Amino acid sequence: MKEQDPVVFVIDDDRMVREGLQSLIKSIGLRVETFASAQDFLLVKHPDAPACLVLDVRMPGLSGLDLQLKLAEAEIHIPIIFITGHGDIPMSVRAMKEGAHEFLTKPVRGQDLLDAIQKAIASDRGLRKERHELNEIRSRFDTLTPREKEVLDLVVAGLLNKQIADQLGMSELTVKTHRAHVMEKTNAESLAHLVRMAERLKNSARKSGPVSS
Amino acid sequence: MPNSSSPPTKLQVLASYGLAIVLVSVALFVSLALQYSLGNPFWFFFSAAVILSTWFGRMGAGWLAVVYSTLAVMYYFTPPFHSFAVSASELPLFLAFVVCEVGMTQLISWRKRTEDTLRRSRDELEARVAERTAELRNANDTLLQKMAEQKRTEEALQVTRTELARVARITTIGELTASIAHEVNQPLAAVVANADACVAWLAREHPDLVEARAAAERVTQGATRASEVIARIRSLITKATPEKSRLQINQVIEQTAALAAGQASRNEVAIKLELAPELPSVLGDSIQLQQVIVNLLMNGIEAMSGVTDRPRTLRVRSESQKNGQIRVSVQDSGIGLSADVMGHLFEPFFTTRQKGMGMGLPISRSIVEAHGGKLWAESNGSGGAIFQFTLPSGDGPAA
Repeated sequence: MKEQDPVVFVIDDDRMVREGLQSLIKSIGLRVETFASAQDFLLVKHPDAPACLVLDVRMPGLSGLDLQLKLAEAEIHIPIIFITGHGDIPMSVRAMKEGAHEFLTKPVRGQDLLDAIQKAIASDRGLRKERHELNEIRSRFDTLTPREKEVLDLVVAGLLNKQIADQLGMSELTVKTHRAHVMEKTNAESLAHLVRMAERLKNSARKSGPVSS
Repeated sequence: MPNSSSPPTKLQVLASYGLAIVLVSVALFVSLALQYSLGNPFWFFFSAAVILSTWFGRMGAGWLAVVYSTLAVMYYFTPPFHSFAVSASELPLFLAFVVCEVGMTQLISWRKRTEDTLRRSRDELEARVAERTAELRNANDTLLQKMAEQKRTEEALQVTRTELARVARITTIGELTASIAHEVNQPLAAVVANADACVAWLAREHPDLVEARAAAERVTQGATRASEVIARIRSLITKATPEKSRLQINQVIEQTAALAAGQASRNEVAIKLELAPELPSVLGDSIQLQQVIVNLLMNGIEAMSGVTDRPRTLRVRSESQKNGQIRVSVQDSGIGLSADVMGHLFEPFFTTRQKGMGMGLPISRSIVEAHGGKLWAESNGSGGAIFQFTLPSGDGPAA
């Protein structure tokens, strides 16, 4: 996959702050897009690139925290760096609980913000990579027939071919054939690899639904 | 003749009788002298003596002169001469003389009495006028004193009122602290971000001077804005005496809304300004008018704190009215005003807020009224309340 340049979204209702942050972030060579309100941000289609959101907590209309919830509902995964005018502890706790990447107080030291942005983008890049891999694994696993899936589940559960054959009421040879197909279709290099991939799929299914961005 | 109004003293009476005798004697002497030289009786001098005696003496002197001259005429000038008898032929003339003398005395003394009465009336009048004048002067002095006293009281009241308004302002500012901190912090955040950006652009291998300069300019703007906020707050706190000047109400509204913006956004309230363009100016004290508007905004924000089922919107409108007045209204989408609350809204120390002092609306009303306007509240048809005030406009649009 060819990765696009990372983007930083800045949402602040204050023009001067917005322009300052934009200039600051641009100065280290990052792409910046600014928005005067959370609503404006929601109206725009976002590029498929590693990104992070620099968000003022307090804004008229949709607040920063509201936007965080809306993005979570829409399953748009962008790390959020909150900026708040004053260290409001309940607010920051709430934001961090909802998965905020960082919580900085205004006025933000430039270097702190840039560090946070770099970390957020790196993290997003990692998450995107993971999501991408998961998608690949899932699409490979989706090619399995129902019979092969049954065999896979029992293999992953640690059963021997003979036990699987008994349980599914088939010959050991048939189990071996299915098992070979599973290994081939999922690109598994070893039994251990297959188990790891199956575990990752299971974990991601528990955490969230199919990934999109 | 002085003292004519008071009864004559004995000496004056004697003097007037003396005068009568002297005058008649002079008349007698002159008449005798003329009779010897001219041969004719010449009685007219007696008339003059009687007139003068009556005029300068009184009735008594007049009568004395009449009797004395009658006797003198009988004795010296009516035949038989040198006797008090009067011959029959001379009798008519003599009687005519006596009648004339008596008539003259009466006439003159009547004239004299009238004149005296007039003079007395005039003197009395003058005295009364003087008396009334003195009374009026006294009354005037008392009035002036009272007025000065009242003015002092009013001044003291004005000072108290101004001080109360200032205290209320400071209280409001206390409530607005978070909002004001945000107001100051915001430009400071811009300053820091832009300064960092400026440094970053300069620190690049090939410094980008255009970007650095733009950032530096924004630093200046931000710092200016911060200092303006501080100046605005300081003027709200320190200024004690109201100063009226011609101002644009829209500007006052915008400045005030900026002060309350933080408070609004913290309470998830959107302030919407619907300001009529090109309004005539008003003559007023901008600090006091800001105070009124801040009060209305804070009340509106507070009134919507319980609203969860609809947007919390605070509409601030300004418009020009047909009667030349300017109307400013603040409309919230809160719970509205019950009839009970409505009745007490403008009473001092009436409040529905936990931390409220209950002075905001009474002070606001007194400020608006001191500007020649009115402040009142209405229930909004679609829920919420409208507070509005009018101000008389200045002499047409300011330059």
